[in-house]
Amino acid sequence: MAAKASLKIKGKGGKGSKESSSSKYEVFKEWTNWSLKKAKVATHYGFIPLIIILGMKSDPNTHIFQLLSPV
Amino acid sequence: MADLFPPLVTAQIDGKPPKADEKVDYSNLPCPVPYDELHREAYMSLKSETFEGLRFDFSKGLNQRFSLSHSVMMGPTEVPSQSPDTTIKIPTAHYEFGANYFDPKLMLVGRVMTDGRLNARLKADLSDKLILKANAQLTGEPHMSHAVFNFDYMGKDYRAQLQLGNSALVGATYIQSVTPRLSLGGEVFWAGVPRKSGIGYAARYETDQMVASAQVASTGNVVMNYVQKISEKVSLATDFVYNYFSRDVVASVGYDYILRQSRVRGKIDSNGVTSALLEERLSMGLNFLLSAEGFFFSQVDHKKKDYKFGFGLTVG
Repeated sequence: MAAKASLKIKGKGGKGSKESSSSKYEVFKEWTNWSLKKAKVATHYGFIPLIIILGMKSDPNTHIFQLLSPV
Repeated sequence: MADLFPPLVTAQIDGKPPKADEKVDYSNLPCPVPYDELHREAYMSLKSETFEGLRFDFSKGLNQRFSLSHSVMMGPTEVPSQSPDTTIKIPTAHYEFGANYFDPKLMLVGRVMTDGRLNARLKADLSDKLILKANAQLTGEPHMSHAVFNFDYMGKDYRAQLQLGNSALVGATYIQSVTPRLSLGGEVFWAGVPRKSGIGYAARYETDQMVASAQVASTGNVVMNYVQKISEKVSLATDFVYNYFSRDVVASVGYDYILRQSRVRGKIDSNGVTSALLEERLSMGLNFLLSAEGFFFSQVDHKKKDYKFGFGLTVG
C-alpha cells in the first residue's frame, strides 16, 4: 500500500485520467476491505445464533427452554 | 465415528459386475471420489485423531435436523519453543459449544470456544451438481482468521473444484475417472501471501478389496499409499511420504479393526512413533475413547519423542 501511495504522488504531474482510475481502484479496494471486515465481525457473532434460530424454526418447533435443559 | 465409516468404493456403481473379461463401457464410468478424499481409506487408519488428556463430548439432539454439543477438553497443548529439542507443553482446558443444522440441502456446523474462537463450516447444494463448501476459523485477534470457500462441480465421471481463500489463495482441482477402477486428477494453486504457486497430480486405483493412491506436488511432497481390506472387519494400510526438497522420508503401516462393539486403529511409523486409538461402545449412545502415542527406538528424531495418553467419553 505504501508503494502505491508513492506512485500516486509521482503521477500527479501529468496523468489526470490515469490518476482517477487508479483512485477508483483504491476506493474499490477500500470498500471491499471494509465490507469484508464487517462480514467477518457479523459472522463471528452471528453464525451460532443463526444456526440456533434455523434449528428452532425447523419442523417440530423447539422452545428455548429445551435448549437449556440438560435432558 | 465408527458408524460413519464408509464402505470402500466398489466399481459397481454403473450396475455392472466387475468381471475382468467383461467389456468396459467407457461412456458410463462412475463418478470419482473428490480430490480431497483421495487418500480417505488410508487416512482412516494412519491419521486417526489421537489426543492427549481428557475429552468429554455431550451431544444433544433436539430435532431431526438440529443438535447442540458441549465439549470439554483438558490437556497439554504444545507450543513451539526456541530450541528444537524440547517442546513446551502448557496445560489448558477448553469448553466448546457447538450447534449443528443438517438439512438435505444445507449443512451448518459451528463451534465456539471460551476464548472466542469460532470454527464454522457450511455446505450448501446450490444445484443438483454444484456444491458450495466454506470453512472458516475466526478469532478476535486481527490477521489471525482464515476462511476458505470451495465450489465443487460434479459431472458424470469427473469432479472439478475451485477454491478461494483469504489472503489471496486460489486453487483448482480436477479428477476424472479413466476406467471403472482408475481415476486421475490434478491440482493447481496460487497463494498470495507467501508468493507461491504449485501444481500437483494424483492417481487412484481401487477394487473391491484394495485401494492404491499416489500424489505428487510441486511443493516437493510425494505420497503413496495402499489399503487392503482383508475382511469385513479388518483392513491394513501402508503409506510412504517423501519430500524431495527437504529429504524427509516417512513410511508407516497401520491397521483398522472394526468389531461389533469397538473399533481399534493403530499405526507404526519409520520414525519409531507408534499410536493407537480405541473407541468402544459401552451402551447405546455412550462411547469410550482411549488414545496412546509413544515411541519405540531410542534413536528416534528428538522432535518426535513423546508419550501421550488420552481418554475420553462421548455421550449422544
